[in-house]
Amino acid sequence: MPSKWKYDQRIESDPDLCAPIIAQLLDQLAQLNWSNKDAFGIHMAMEEAILNSIRHGNECRQGTFVHVVMELDDVQFSGTVTDEGAGFDPETVPDPTDDSNLEKCSGRGVMLIKHFVDEVNYNDCGNSVSMSKQKSS
Amino acid sequence: MPDFECIEIDSISNISVVKLKDEKVMAPARIETLGVELLSLVENKPADDQDVVALNVLINFENVRFFSSGAINKLIVLEKRVRARGGQIRLSNMQPEVRDLFSYTNLDSMFDIRNGQAEAMESFKEN
Repeated sequence: MPSKWKYDQRIESDPDLCAPIIAQLLDQLAQLNWSNKDAFGIHMAMEEAILNSIRHGNECRQGTFVHVVMELDDVQFSGTVTDEGAGFDPETVPDPTDDSNLEKCSGRGVMLIKHFVDEVNYNDCGNSVSMSKQKSS
Repeated sequence: MPDFECIEIDSISNISVVKLKDEKVMAPARIETLGVELLSLVENKPADDQDVVALNVLINFENVRFFSSGAINKLIVLEKRVRARGGQIRLSNMQPEVRDLFSYTNLDSMFDIRNGQAEAMESFKEN
């Protein structure tokens, strides 16, 4: 059984293309004996990042692509999602846990990414997010 | 009762008991179907129907291991509709990871989440 998995694909900006990628990721996490709790967090973070890029970054425009890179072994996960949009400032996203924002959809994805992985970094223009997580002991 | 792809429904007194069928609620098309099916619970019960005292909905998460924020948005829309009609909503039988997701996002202040279905059913009597 391989002890390391790498995924590197440019996908079209179609939200339906996200689930098969996440399914592959979950399969690999299971094969490399990551816990359900870790797998849940990584799947949430990557799914939010990919869907944010497709919907908000590229606005689902035909002819645009999202670049998804993931590396996984039995101790660490890392992922980078890059779109072709103008980017955004994650610091200006409204707090989705504020009572007045609970019913809004915006901001929840950014918060979930931050919550579920150990480290999150955006590039300067905000159209690429990188994340990493260590396997829980 | 119509057949649904994503949910099973049992109607007990004035409570619609909904069990989510999928283990992974992730694919956008599937989430859209789930949203339509959940809203049909509300739309099939017009507010001026004298037989409907209140529309209460209990959603049982027993089968669900993975849940996405897109699916959460469908629940939020349903909650608003149910509340607008004077009903209440309860969620129950969540796996720990799914339960934590609602805590992290502070959505447990919007949704009344109970450990088991019996407890959730009983809690409708509290209000």
